[in-house]
Amino acid sequence: MKYLNNIWEVAKRECKILYVNRIYGYCMVVFPLLAMLFFTSLMDDGLPQEMPVGIVDLDNTSMTRALGLKLDGFQNSRVVAHYPSVAEARKAMQENEIYGFLYLPKGTTDNLLASRRPTISYYYSQTSLTAGSMVMKDLKTTATLAAMGVGQATMRAKGLTNQQMATLMQPIRIDLHQVVNPWGNYNMYLSTVFVPGVIMLFMFLISAYSLGMELKFGRGKEWLGMADNNIVVAILGKYLPQALIFSSIIFFYEFYIYGILHFPHEGDMWDMLLLIVLQVFSSIGFGIFIFGLMPSLRMSMSICSLWAVLSFSLAGSAFPMMGMDASLQALTWLFPLRHYYMLYQITVFNGYPLVDAWFHLVALLAFTLTPWFVLSKVKNAMLNYVYIP
Amino acid sequence: MFRDEGVLMFCIVVPLGYPLLYSWIYNNETVHEVPVVVVDQSNSQLSRQFIRMCDASPDVKVACYTVDLDDAKSLVSRQVVKGIYYIPEDFATRLNRMEQSTISVYCDMALMLTYKAIYQTALAVTTQMGAAIKRSVSGNYTARDDLVSSSPLNVEEVSIFNPAGGYGSSVIPAVLMLIIQQTLALGVGMAAGTSRERSRYSDLVPINKCYSSVGRIICGKSLCYLMIYAVMSTYLVIVVPRMFNYIHMAPWLNLLVLMIPYLLACVFFAQTVCCLVHYRENVILLMVFISMILMFLSGVSWPQTSIPSYWQGVSWLFPSTFGIRAYIRLNSMGATLSDVSFELMCLWGLVVFYFAMACIVYTVEMGLSKRHTTERLEVLRKKRAVRLQLKAKKKGSEA
Repeated sequence: MKYLNNIWEVAKRECKILYVNRIYGYCMVVFPLLAMLFFTSLMDDGLPQEMPVGIVDLDNTSMTRALGLKLDGFQNSRVVAHYPSVAEARKAMQENEIYGFLYLPKGTTDNLLASRRPTISYYYSQTSLTAGSMVMKDLKTTATLAAMGVGQATMRAKGLTNQQMATLMQPIRIDLHQVVNPWGNYNMYLSTVFVPGVIMLFMFLISAYSLGMELKFGRGKEWLGMADNNIVVAILGKYLPQALIFSSIIFFYEFYIYGILHFPHEGDMWDMLLLIVLQVFSSIGFGIFIFGLMPSLRMSMSICSLWAVLSFSLAGSAFPMMGMDASLQALTWLFPLRHYYMLYQITVFNGYPLVDAWFHLVALLAFTLTPWFVLSKVKNAMLNYVYIP
Repeated sequence: MFRDEGVLMFCIVVPLGYPLLYSWIYNNETVHEVPVVVVDQSNSQLSRQFIRMCDASPDVKVACYTVDLDDAKSLVSRQVVKGIYYIPEDFATRLNRMEQSTISVYCDMALMLTYKAIYQTALAVTTQMGAAIKRSVSGNYTARDDLVSSSPLNVEEVSIFNPAGGYGSSVIPAVLMLIIQQTLALGVGMAAGTSRERSRYSDLVPINKCYSSVGRIICGKSLCYLMIYAVMSTYLVIVVPRMFNYIHMAPWLNLLVLMIPYLLACVFFAQTVCCLVHYRENVILLMVFISMILMFLSGVSWPQTSIPSYWQGVSWLFPSTFGIRAYIRLNSMGATLSDVSFELMCLWGLVVFYFAMACIVYTVEMGLSKRHTTERLEVLRKKRAVRLQLKAKKKGSEA
């Protein structure tokens, strides 16, 4: 009972601190909400729509013009200009006017009708990977459709049935199942990792920051005194309000994406709740651990920010982990966001059983418990250290 | 500045170390040999040919075979494989009957790059097999006939500017430019926080002869940051791309023309932002999280034309937006200076804007610290007067 009372007292004191220093309010509520809003509104379309492409049509026949119209009809591309030469089109790409173009050389139609097998080409730039691959898909489909159209006309002339024509044009058809995210929607793919990543960044930083500020303003002794010099009680009391605030922010986020934006998910509510709890506790645990390792406000915050920024890359959501070097693959285990991402995609996104993600579950639990190793160091720092800027 | 470890870390260590770290992460550029599981219920010569051809492709590796879809699904769930090729029982039968047959591809959509590898490999293999089947039934006489009937139009794919489609080659240039702006803001902000903490009234500008006018303060500080960052940015925009063989097409003169306004804009931007910093550590809380947002606003991860207009507006406030765009076009796409003239103009605009902002900020801060000093002086004078009065009284009473 005494312990609970002390925890309560420390928590009340912490609430006062959170209220007085405005930076907490910004980092725990305003910035996470901003990040939420930013990522979900930035990619609201799901897929980039109407990206500018060009056409270099030196043939200028009804067939090549029809190709241009077809390209314009695609959802992801919009034909913004016709260029007189490839050099001009390339220049337009360098000036950031188009992402790619279709090149139809002179004599395409003539050669096609005379079975001389002309060459048409499409150019696209992969300096922006998303734009490049989207534009490429449309350009490729247009060019392939053009080739098929000719074959179809020939076969119809020979008197083949529709079914025969379909078989001859495409003997083997691919039946694609994009499991859970059938639209290939980038918002559902990126926002579900980057926003939790940003919130995790703030949890790392704030948990190190709030410990460091006790040291900076010399309130460490007062804080420990309220907990009767019991460091476990002191830490539990200190982080209780923070954990509650962060949990409710993340809960709101999940409600926003699943309840309002209707992101697809196969896992149920309990998977999500488990994930929220693990995310909050493992991140706070990591922040305390880093501060305990280096009880200096600046160093611990620098390490935390370095770790958090790197975890966006090492989570392996944009560039898969299997593409990295073996030593890096092992390093990713040290990043809580990696485990969060794996747990999320196995249990919540795909709805597979929790046991298949047991390793990541255990890893997040381990991060939660890391402060245990540095408790005595934190206590020592609070009692004896002096803040060095 | 050099006496402060924190500032030193952000201005020297991070710009030197971060590019190396990121280059290491992305040094393989693309994913190859994505593991898939095959459910081959047809078990025919044609289905085995499909599996063999997929396995032989650079992007996909057939890791397992299972009897049914449920088994395959559990392999995906355990992260052993990233996708399933399902070949139905009637695959070969239908083909032999000259009917269209189907191969089902199931992809784990948690990763876009593996999805693309799995799908595009299946597409390429089936197209190739289809062309062979088409040829065998078409009854042509010559090889040329075969070619024309299977592909009457030759389609050529040209990926320019980043031909391998490497992830690192597309992302790292943006990261390099962003590092310049963010570390400058972190370093300058931290130094500003320190000078506030040293001051009695947490003022930004100390009372000192050297700090007597706004122009002097800003020019002096900027000169110091510029000197350090001239070296750092040379390393970032010229040395790093050559070290890791990223595409580097821009001659140094073009880069110089870009980097001068970019660095100036970043320096003044950092000096404007630093007025927000009250404790030295707060700057970390502010700037680190903005990096992620700026990265997306630059148009590298998400196409510039698809960024909603209100976020476009926000992105115009940051030098990095134009810096990244211009740098990528100059260095990765071989554009000339006239091609990026719009970005350069915007950067010069930002230089003027943030210089003015920095002047305003420092004028206000100087006013504040002057007021605090005069108030303090008043207090001291009053104290002295009171003391003198007391002394006089004492003397009077003694007399």
